[in-house]
Amino acid sequence: MSAHGPASHQVSVSLRRPLVYGALIVALAAAVVASLALGAVKVPVSVVIDTLLGKEVTGPERQIVETLRLPRTAEALAVGAALGVAGAILQGALANPLASPDVIGVTGGAGFGAILIIILFPGSIALLPIGALAFGLFAAALVFAIAWSGANRGSTGKVILAGIAVLSLFTAGTTGLLAAYPEKAPSAIFFIAGGLTSSGWEEMQAIWPYFAVGFVAAALLIRPLDRLALGDDVAASLGSRPHLIRLGAAIAAALLAAASAAIAGLVGFLGLVVPHVVRMAGGTSSHTFVVPASALGGAALLAAADTLARTLRAPIEMPVGPFMAILGVPLFLWLLRKVV
Amino acid sequence: MRRSALTALLVLALLVVPASAQAAPRIVALTPFGANTLAKLGVKPVAVGQTLGGRERISPKLKGVPVLTLSHPNGPNLEQLASLEPDIVLSSPTWAKGNESMGDLGIEVMIREPRRLQESYSQTLAIGKLVGKAKAAKELVGQIKKQVARARRDIESEPRVMVILGVGRTPFVFLPNSWGGDLITKAGGELLTGGVESDSGFERISDEVVVAENPDVIIAVPHAEEDDIPSLAEYLRTNPAWAGTNAVENNRIYISVDNSLLQAGTDVARTIRKVRRSYLDNWPG
Amino acid sequence: MSPAPIQAAPAQLEAERVEVEIGGAPILRGADLSLECGELVAVVGPNGAGKSTFVRAISGLQPFSAGAVRWSGRVLPGLRGRELARLRAFVPQRMPVPSGVLVREAVTIGRSSHLRPLRRLQGEDRKAIEAALERAGVGAFAERPLTTLSGGELQRVQIAIGLAQEAPVLIADEPTSQLDLGAAVGIATLLRGLADEGLAVLLVVHDLALATAVADRVVVVAEGKTVATGSPTEVLTSERLAEIWGADARLTAEEGRTALQVAWLPGGVRAA
Repeated sequence: MSAHGPASHQVSVSLRRPLVYGALIVALAAAVVASLALGAVKVPVSVVIDTLLGKEVTGPERQIVETLRLPRTAEALAVGAALGVAGAILQGALANPLASPDVIGVTGGAGFGAILIIILFPGSIALLPIGALAFGLFAAALVFAIAWSGANRGSTGKVILAGIAVLSLFTAGTTGLLAAYPEKAPSAIFFIAGGLTSSGWEEMQAIWPYFAVGFVAAALLIRPLDRLALGDDVAASLGSRPHLIRLGAAIAAALLAAASAAIAGLVGFLGLVVPHVVRMAGGTSSHTFVVPASALGGAALLAAADTLARTLRAPIEMPVGPFMAILGVPLFLWLLRKVV
Repeated sequence: MRRSALTALLVLALLVVPASAQAAPRIVALTPFGANTLAKLGVKPVAVGQTLGGRERISPKLKGVPVLTLSHPNGPNLEQLASLEPDIVLSSPTWAKGNESMGDLGIEVMIREPRRLQESYSQTLAIGKLVGKAKAAKELVGQIKKQVARARRDIESEPRVMVILGVGRTPFVFLPNSWGGDLITKAGGELLTGGVESDSGFERISDEVVVAENPDVIIAVPHAEEDDIPSLAEYLRTNPAWAGTNAVENNRIYISVDNSLLQAGTDVARTIRKVRRSYLDNWPG
Repeated sequence: MSPAPIQAAPAQLEAERVEVEIGGAPILRGADLSLECGELVAVVGPNGAGKSTFVRAISGLQPFSAGAVRWSGRVLPGLRGRELARLRAFVPQRMPVPSGVLVREAVTIGRSSHLRPLRRLQGEDRKAIEAALERAGVGAFAERPLTTLSGGELQRVQIAIGLAQEAPVLIADEPTSQLDLGAAVGIATLLRGLADEGLAVLLVVHDLALATAVADRVVVVAEGKTVATGSPTEVLTSERLAEIWGADARLTAEEGRTALQVAWLPGGVRAA
C-alpha cells in the first residue's frame, strides 16, 4: 500500500504523453512523405515538393503526384484517423477492450452494400461508396434499434450482442451473394480485403461531411466518455446520461466507420488495435489523450501500410490489410510485453 | 516564279508533315482486340495490356512494345499509365473503376472490346479513324469480311451446341450477345441457351438445364488461374452431371483453353474455321 | 475549502412521499426525508427495505412514480444534469476501476460538471481539484493509478471525486460496507468532518453502531416506507431494533465509542 517513489513516477508520467504525441507526429509526417514520394513510378522528391508548393512542373510526374498520390494520401489519413477514433470511443463507451467498429455492424453492412452495387450496377462504379455508406449506416441503425429498446436498453452487453447478430446477418448475406455471382468475386475481393485506390478527389468530395460530423461528435464525446469510465453512477452524478453517451458514441463511430468503408472497403485491425497501442504507450486511458492519439496513430499506420501495399510488388497493388498487421502487430506485442 | 512556288510548296509540306505527325495520338491498348487491330493497321501503340497470368494473344508485330500488367480493380497501374502520357486508352468494361480514374487524369477512354462480329467491324473502323488510317481500316474490314465469308461457306450441318464457361466449378452459358456465342452461331452452330438472357452475355445455369437442352456438342471454356486450368479442364471434360447428353455420349465434348472464344480478336476467320473443323465437324471435306 | 453555511435558506433537500416502481413491482411506497447544511443524516433499514432505491431516487439516478423531491427549493424533474451536479454529489458504493487512470485524473473528471464542453481547466478548477484531493486525504497518492489502491484508499478517492463537484450536498451509498475496520474508521471520520465544516451529508449505512456515532439524525426505512426519524438514540431503541430488524439488540454509547450489543444465540452467549 505504499506509494511508489512519487517524485520519479510523477516526472515520467508528465513526460510520457508529450513524448508519445511527438513520436506519433514524426511517424505521421514520415508516412505522408513516403506516401507522396513513393509509388510504381519514380518521382524525385524535388518534384513532389515543387508540386505541393504549386510551382510550375511539367510532365506526367506532376499529374502522378497531384491526381493520383495526393488524394490517395488524404484518403489514407482520413480513413486511418476515422477508424482509430471510432475504435477508441467504442472501447470507452462499451467498457470493452475488444470493441471495434465491426462490433456495431457497420463493416458487415458496408460490405454487403458494396457487393450489392457491384452485382446490380456493374457499370456504375460511382455508386459503390454510396451503397457501402447507406448499408453501413443501416446496419448500425439496426444494431441501435435492437440495443436501445426493451429492458437494459443501451447496456454494453446488449449492444455487443446486437452487433454480433447484425454482423453475422450481413456477412451471411455477402457470402451468399458472392456464391451466387462468383464471376463478380475478383472485383469484390478488392473491396473485402480492404484497400485504397487512386481515384482522385471525387469520393472524398462526396463523403467528407460524414467524416466531419463524426470527428466533431467524437471530440464532444471525450469528456462524457471519461465520466462514463468511472461508472454509470458517477457519470449520472456528474450530470450525464450513460445510455445517451453510449448512443452518441455508437452513432459517431458508425458515421466514421461507414464513411471509411465507403472509401477504403473493409479495413479491419486498425480500429481494434491502435487505441490499445496508444494507451499502452501513453500509460493512460484518459480519452483526452487516447482519442486524438488514436487519430494520429491510425492515420500514420494506414498511410504507411498503403504505401507498402502499392510499392512492394509494383505495379501490382496488394490489399492493405496484411501490411497493417505487419507494421502494427510487432509494435503491439512489444508494448504488451513491456507493460503487462 | 516557279522556284518561289516550289519553295512555297516545300515550306507547306514541311509544315504539314510534322503537323500530321503531331496529329497521331499516343494510344495505349489494353484489350487484345485494340492492340491487334492497331498492329494490323501498321500502328504501334505506346503500350499494351496483359492480365496477370493471362493468355491474351498479342500480335507478334507488337513485340517490344511495353506491357502494362492488368489487375482488378483498376486494370493498369495508374501511375505507370500516367507516366506514359497517353492521349487515348482503348479499354474494356472490366476495368470500370480504372476507366473513371483515367478520365480524371485527362485521358480519353474508349471501350474497344466488341461482343459481336458486327461490332468488331464498326469498332475496327472507329480505331482506324482515330489513328488517321480510315482508308486502311476500311480495307482491313473488307478483307476480314471476305475471310469470314470464306470460312462460312458450305455449312451443311447445324449441330446444337452449348458453349459453357466454367468459372471454377460454376457453369455459365455463352449467350448470343457474347463474342464466343456469336462466333459459334456464325460457324453454323445452333446456340442453346436454356432460355436465359443477360446484358453481360453470360448467365449462370444449372447442370440440369444442360441435360434438358441435350446439346449435340458441348464446348467448355475453363476460366481460372493459369495453374488451375489443367485440373479444371479435366473436371469439365469428365463432369458426370452432363453424362446423359448426346454430346458426352458421342464424345463430342471439347475444351477450349485459348482466349479465342472469350475475347474478341482480329483473326476471326481462323477462329470460325477452327470451331467448324474441331468442334462442329461441319467443315467440308 | 469549507463552503460557508447557508443561513435562512430552504432546506437543502426535501423529499415527500416518494414512490418508486421497478419492473412493475413497488419498491418504495412513500418515503420522506429532509436535509440541512451541516447535518449528517443516516438512512438505515433491513435489506431490501428500499434504502438505496430511496436515496438514488432523491439523487436523480432513479425515476420515481409519485411524491416530490426538492433541492434548494427546486423541483427535481425540472433540474438538468449539470445544475443537479452542482447541487449534489453522489458517491456509489463501488465504482468500476478503469485501468490507466490516475487518482488526480479521476478527481479531475469529477470537476467536469463545471467545465463547458471542450473548454480547458481554469485556475479555479485546479484549486477545487487540489482542495478535494487534500480534504479527502488522498493528496499523498494523487499520481498513482486507481488500480493500485486499497479498498479504503479507493473509497476516499470516490469521495474526493464527489468533493470536486463543490456541491453543498454529499450522498454516499454504503461507503464502509466493504472496508476493514481501520479503513471504515477513516471514512467515518472524514464524513463527520465534512458535515462539521458545513456540508450536508446523506449516508446509507448498514452498520447501526457507525450510524449512531456519526449521524445527527437517523431515518429508518422498512418495507418501502420511512417509519421513524430522529436522533440515533431516540430512534434506534431496542424495541425498534426488535420490531424492524427482528433482532434482540441494544445500542450503547460510552467513552466516545458506540457499540451494538446483540443476542446472537437464543439462550445467551456460550461461556468462553
